[in-house]
Amino acid sequence: MSLDWLSAFLIYALFTVAGTVGMAQFLHLQMGLAGIGNFGIVGFFGLGMYTYGVFIRRIPWPDAMGDILPFVISMLAAVVVTALAGMLIGWFISDLDGDGVLVGTLGFATVVYSLALSEKRWTGGAEGMAVTDPVGFGTKGNSLFWLGLMLLLVVAATYYVARVHRSPYGRLLVAIGQNEPLARSLGKPTFGIKLSLFAIGSAGMGLIGAIFAVMNHFIRPTEIGIEVTLAVMVGLVLGGSARVWGAVVGVLLTAGLFDIVVQIYLPLPDSWYQITLPVVREMVFGAMLILVLLWRPLGVLGDMRRDKLVARLGRG
Amino acid sequence: MVVSLDIDRTDESAVRPAWQRARAFFSTPPGRLVAWLGILGLLGLLVGTWGLARKAVVFGLAEEAPLALAAVGFALLYRLTGIINVAYSETVTLGAYFGMWFNTTFGWNFYLSLIPAALGAGVVSVITYFAFFRPAHRRSVGVVEVIILSFGLSIVLRYGLQLIFGHEQRYFKVPFQNPIRILGLGVPPFRVTALAGVIAGALILYWFIQKTRLGIQIRALAGDEKLAQVSGINPLAVTVLIWFIAGLAGGAAGAFYGVGATARPLLGWSKFLYILLAVLVGGAKGLRGVIIAGLGMGVLLSGLTLAIKGQGLYSEILVVVLFIVILKLRGNRMSEAAKV
Repeated sequence: MSLDWLSAFLIYALFTVAGTVGMAQFLHLQMGLAGIGNFGIVGFFGLGMYTYGVFIRRIPWPDAMGDILPFVISMLAAVVVTALAGMLIGWFISDLDGDGVLVGTLGFATVVYSLALSEKRWTGGAEGMAVTDPVGFGTKGNSLFWLGLMLLLVVAATYYVARVHRSPYGRLLVAIGQNEPLARSLGKPTFGIKLSLFAIGSAGMGLIGAIFAVMNHFIRPTEIGIEVTLAVMVGLVLGGSARVWGAVVGVLLTAGLFDIVVQIYLPLPDSWYQITLPVVREMVFGAMLILVLLWRPLGVLGDMRRDKLVARLGRG
Repeated sequence: MVVSLDIDRTDESAVRPAWQRARAFFSTPPGRLVAWLGILGLLGLLVGTWGLARKAVVFGLAEEAPLALAAVGFALLYRLTGIINVAYSETVTLGAYFGMWFNTTFGWNFYLSLIPAALGAGVVSVITYFAFFRPAHRRSVGVVEVIILSFGLSIVLRYGLQLIFGHEQRYFKVPFQNPIRILGLGVPPFRVTALAGVIAGALILYWFIQKTRLGIQIRALAGDEKLAQVSGINPLAVTVLIWFIAGLAGGAAGAFYGVGATARPLLGWSKFLYILLAVLVGGAKGLRGVIIAGLGMGVLLSGLTLAIKGQGLYSEILVVVLFIVILKLRGNRMSEAAKV
C-alpha cells in the first residue's frame, strides 16, 4: 500500500483536527449536557502538555528503563495531574453561576500560561523545550503512529459520549444543565457529579495535550493560546452541542475545512499563509460562533428529541 | 406559553454563606478582639515594610488606575443588563486605538484625544448592542450562550484590529515631561492625571447612577423591566444609554492604558480577567466596591511584583488566585441583581 499521498502536512493537519474533535467531545459533556461553559480548555490541554514535558525531561530516568517506560509514566502523570486540576476547578465552580465559571476557567488557563512562561527551570520559559519521540518507526512512521493513537482516542471518546447519552449519568448531566436546584432537591448528588465530570473531561484534554507534545517534538507557550479554546468551542457549537456527533461534524466543518482544504489544497500566495491566513481563520471562527448562536443555536445537527418533549409539555 | 422550570435560587440553602458566618463571628467580643488585632497587624505590616508599601501604593495606583474605570463600565453593563460581555475588552482596546489615531494622525493633544477615544468606543459599544446583543436577547439566547457569543465577537474585533494594524505596538506622541515626586517617588505626570481623571470619571458615574433622574430610570429598568415600562420609562433609550456609558468608560480607560504603555490588539484582553475579577469581587458592594476592588488590585499587583523581585508573572498568578479564592469564599450568587 502506497502512502505517498499522505504528506507530512496532511498528517499533521489530520492530527490537529482529530485532537480538536477529542477535546470537543469532552467539552460536549460539560457544556452541551451539563451547561457549564468551560473557557479554560487550553489550560487543561496545556497542563497535560507541560506535565508530560516536565516529567520526561526533568526526571533523570535511568538508561535501564529504556524509552517506553518513562514515556508511559509521564503520560500517566499528565492524566493524573490534569484530572486533579479538573477536580479542583470542578470544586471551585460547583456553586457558582455562569460568570463565576467563566472567571474560574479563564483564570485557570491564565495561571497555566503564566506558569509555563515564568518557571524557566522546569518549562524552558518562552523558548520552550524539546521532547524526544519514544517510538522508532522513522519520521513518517512515527507521525502516522501518533495520528493513529489520536484517532483511537477520539473514537473511544465518541463511544464514551454515546454511552453517556444513553445512561442515567447522562440524563443526570442534562438535568443539572436544565435546572440544578431541582436535580439537587430530588436527591441527586450534583456536587459529586460536577467533580467527576470535570475530572474526566480534564484528564481527557490533558492526555490529548500530552500526545500533542510528543507529536510536535517541542513544547512552547505559543502552543497554548486562546486559539485552542476557540477552535474546540466553535467546532462544538457549530456541529450542535447537544448531539453525540455534533463535535465531529462541527470540527470537520471548521478546523477540518480550514486546516486541511484551505491550508493545503487552495493555491494561495505564500505570504498569505504566514501572516494573513491565521488571523483570518480566527476571525472566521469568531464570526461563526456569533452567527450560529443567533440563527441556529443548536448547531447544524439541530436539537435532540428531549427538547421536542419539553416543548410539547409546554404546549400541553 | 413555555413552562418555566426556574426556581428562585436566592434562598435555596438554609446554611448561611461563609462570609455571613464570619460577619456574625466578628460581632462577638472575641471576634472583635481578633478584628482589632488584625487591623493593628496590618498597620504594623504597613509601617514595617514602608519602603515597599510606599512604592506599591504609588506605582500601583498610578499604573493600574484605568482598571478601576474599565471595571466600573463593565460593572454597569453586567449589573444593569445582566450581560457578561467578553467583547468589552475590545471596547478598551478600541479606546486606545481611537486615542492614538487622533493623537498621532491629527496631532491632537492627549487630553483632547480622550474625547474621540471615549466617544468612539461608546458608539462601537452601542453598535454591538444593536447588531448582536439585542437580537440575542430577542431570540432569548441563554446566559452561557451569550457569553460564548460575546467571546466570538471579542475574537472577531481583536483579530480584525490585528489584520488592520498588525501585531506591532503603537505609541502615543506625547511630549516628555519631568516626573512628579509623590511620597519621594518619581511618577510621570500622565499617570497622575490619569489617576485623577479615572477617579473623577468613576465618581461622576457613581453620582450619575445614584442621584440623577436618568440614573434612577436606569436602575428601575434593571430592577423590573415591565414595571419600569408602565411607569413611562423608555426601555430602549435607557438600555442604549447604559451601553453608551459603559463604552465611554471603557474607551477612556483604554486611552489611559495606551498612553501609559502602548496601543496593541491584545491590550484589552490582557486586562479582561482583572476587570472581571474586580467586578465580581467588588460588585457585591455596588459601584463603590468595584472602584475599591479595581484600585486595590492595582496596588496588590505592583506590591507583589516589587516584593518578588522582577517576576511580574508570579504576582499576576497570586492576584488571580487570591481573588478567585475570595470569590469562592463569598459565593457569587448575588440576590439583588440590580443593586448598583
